[in-house]
Amino acid sequence: MPLFEGLSYSDDKNVYIIDLGSAYTKCGLAGETGPRCIIPSTVKNTRTGQVSRIWDYNSTAELHENLKELLSVLIFRYLLMSPKDKRVVVVESLLCPSEFRDCLAKVLFRHFEVGSVLFAPGHVLSLLTLGSACGLVMDVGYRETLVIPVYEGIPILKAWQAIPIAGKAIHRHGRIKSQLLENAVVKTAEHQDQPVATVPESLTEEILEDIKVRCCFVTEYSRGQAIQDVTLRGASASKLPKLPPAVEYPLDGSRIVSVSGKIREHTCETLFEQDDDGHSVAALILDSLMQCPVDTRRELSENIVITGGSAMIPGFFHRLKRELDASAAKPPYRDALGTKGFKFLKPPARENYTAWLGGAMVGALETLPSKSLSRDAYLQRGRLPDWCCLDQDMWADDHAVLRR
Amino acid sequence: MATFMDVNLVRYLCSCGKRYPACRLYLCRHCLKLRCSDCVQHEVDSPYCPNCLENMPASEAKLKKNRCSNCFDCPICGHTLMTRATSQMMANPDDPGKSTPKKMYYMACSFCRWTTRDVGLPDRVVANGGWPDEDNADAKRINTLLESYRAVAQREKAEKERKKYVKRRSHAGFQDKYGLTSVAMKWKIQPAVANLSIKEKENEKVPSPPQMVEPVTDFDPLPPEIFTEPVQLEKVTHLTHRLAAPEFQPAETVDLRPIHKHLLVRRSLRCRECEHNLSKPDFNPLSIKFKIQLIALNHIPELRIMSPATFTPNKETVVTFTLSNPSVYNTVVKLLPIEGETDTDYMTAKIELPKADLVLAHHDDTAVYDDSSKISPEFKDDPRVIVFRRANKLGFVAKVTPICKSGDVKVSFQMKHEFRNTAAAIQSEDKEPKLEWLQQQVFVRLGRIGQ
Repeated sequence: MPLFEGLSYSDDKNVYIIDLGSAYTKCGLAGETGPRCIIPSTVKNTRTGQVSRIWDYNSTAELHENLKELLSVLIFRYLLMSPKDKRVVVVESLLCPSEFRDCLAKVLFRHFEVGSVLFAPGHVLSLLTLGSACGLVMDVGYRETLVIPVYEGIPILKAWQAIPIAGKAIHRHGRIKSQLLENAVVKTAEHQDQPVATVPESLTEEILEDIKVRCCFVTEYSRGQAIQDVTLRGASASKLPKLPPAVEYPLDGSRIVSVSGKIREHTCETLFEQDDDGHSVAALILDSLMQCPVDTRRELSENIVITGGSAMIPGFFHRLKRELDASAAKPPYRDALGTKGFKFLKPPARENYTAWLGGAMVGALETLPSKSLSRDAYLQRGRLPDWCCLDQDMWADDHAVLRR
Repeated sequence: MATFMDVNLVRYLCSCGKRYPACRLYLCRHCLKLRCSDCVQHEVDSPYCPNCLENMPASEAKLKKNRCSNCFDCPICGHTLMTRATSQMMANPDDPGKSTPKKMYYMACSFCRWTTRDVGLPDRVVANGGWPDEDNADAKRINTLLESYRAVAQREKAEKERKKYVKRRSHAGFQDKYGLTSVAMKWKIQPAVANLSIKEKENEKVPSPPQMVEPVTDFDPLPPEIFTEPVQLEKVTHLTHRLAAPEFQPAETVDLRPIHKHLLVRRSLRCRECEHNLSKPDFNPLSIKFKIQLIALNHIPELRIMSPATFTPNKETVVTFTLSNPSVYNTVVKLLPIEGETDTDYMTAKIELPKADLVLAHHDDTAVYDDSSKISPEFKDDPRVIVFRRANKLGFVAKVTPICKSGDVKVSFQMKHEFRNTAAAIQSEDKEPKLEWLQQQVFVRLGRIGQ
């Protein structure tokens, strides 16, 4: 019997859903409840063994090669299906550079010869997992935090807000590394203590990320304010709340570094500190709401959806809610916002693959072929339709192709 | 033999414009062109489990989410788990006073010592499989939502098709003029009725909107222990452990479960131009043979550098190359210089190639065991060019004059050789294979300019 089932199922499940995030790539098949794999968006050079991130590219040629490599890993290691004439849904950010999209389309259509590709914005897809058409979607990813309000399925583009503060700011260029370098000490097996600053190469990206994931948390609002008073506004250090206990973190088999309570509690404050322009993760939502038409604000503020892996840090949601409430009661927003409190929607997925799940739903629908760009249309036109340059000829072509 | 150490010293130009060593190229017998793994179509051939080597049809693999049902990986280190048997004393149901030993099974990792007992999974009665799979708690919610979307999508599609139909029908109206009313009416009514009935059904079914989730107004604060209790790192999982089970992403080690082993596939390669297979593995994962394997090394003469040399700028140096013939026929090779090549990326030296044709002896499997290195008299070699000859191999010299001041000495030339197309011979039997002349461009990195 299972064989039979497989045969009957096989048609609608053959759609690849790919979400190429800055840090992790989510990949799977349409109609499933979770991705088949979440792997780092990196490729390893077989000759030199060097690992490079696909988003850190210097030239389109480099990006092209890297995408080819990453996609062939996804297809031949995880999905195990010949790519020829398959349908693909690519979950993308609305702010995805055209260069990247064009390159991805080229790799998919010309190298892997897929049948059709649908580029779908991740924010709209995230809402789809909730069955609602309105919502304010915030994606706290790796490189940036991006808020886009979606009303009746249409992104309100003029109200998008973004800051380059997200997961990367916490561990890679941010607090964890600098504070470890500043005052942490490595204990070795020979009981010789040496400052981390003398062995900076041992703090690899993976270790920093791991420290973030396993040790750090987003602290409570009141404590967070006290910490910000001290670190940003120069209050005396005695006002600092009592730090959580330190963690003995093993760097490798013989060396241990002590991750202080300060690092554990203070690092994630990066997300909530208002910079010179008053931007923080919480302020983004409010700023975005202010840009929206006044009659949509109430509905949007009561349908907030948070996605992105960095939102999975413990305590994030609680803190965000408190920050929103506190900021909304303060002057720039108090009189102008016109909302009644904030409500959140919880998607049926982990934050780091919510957008992917939306893609998996779109991919399982019968309307997918009519909404995606076919290989023939792409080859004939030679480029990709893009929301930021709608030229009429292109759409005319599109219809001509479809009609044929 | 420098090429053994670094296969990238001698590279051939692939038909797609990339340069690869001969061992990484394929020769399409139908287009007679070199192909590399980049310019062929990869196809998934047969999925199999790398541990139990059981192959399964692609459709079954798809249903099992590309995972083996019997083999498991350790959720900590990824090593394959082993089944361990223990005997446990079980209360005898017939005689409550006595207990009988019973065989129970659990899984353990032989590398990191993780066991299923660590996470409190009860031992199993059967040795193979049967471990319960976790279910996604949200699966029901996702599926009901998906069902409602499907219904909407179906309706959208039907509407689109109906629109198409309506258009056509408007033309049908003209037919009345020509007295075809009855036919036209038939055409008109039937679809209209059909459409209506579908529509009514859909109206009942579709607009049931997916039930909305209750919005959350407040979230749980952090547990107060986090500020006072030390973290027990060994109980918190790494990110890689979490991402190995994307739907569950356990944050604590007690929630880890054995992971079904992921399948691997055998790939077959297909030429993009003529759509013939270049490489097709055997279906059985136990077999390492290929049904079709058109690797270039088996078809085109292989050039190697025999001994590395050091060079001085503008000074002639003699370099010895070897050529070996993989074909079972004697093969004539002509080496032709490239005129007017000025690109110093590929050419930093002048090379004086042998003018005469080089005749390579045929490949003979038994010749390997024959160490009486007698020179077969059938070849009349010029000793100034041909240094040695052994079985299907010969060594020849060429004079190289570097024109660069420093860096790598690189030369490039054309190699024209005979090729007997056995593919064509199969089609027309008892004929001599058709003789073709193939031409390859070869790029050689000879060495560096000495100090």
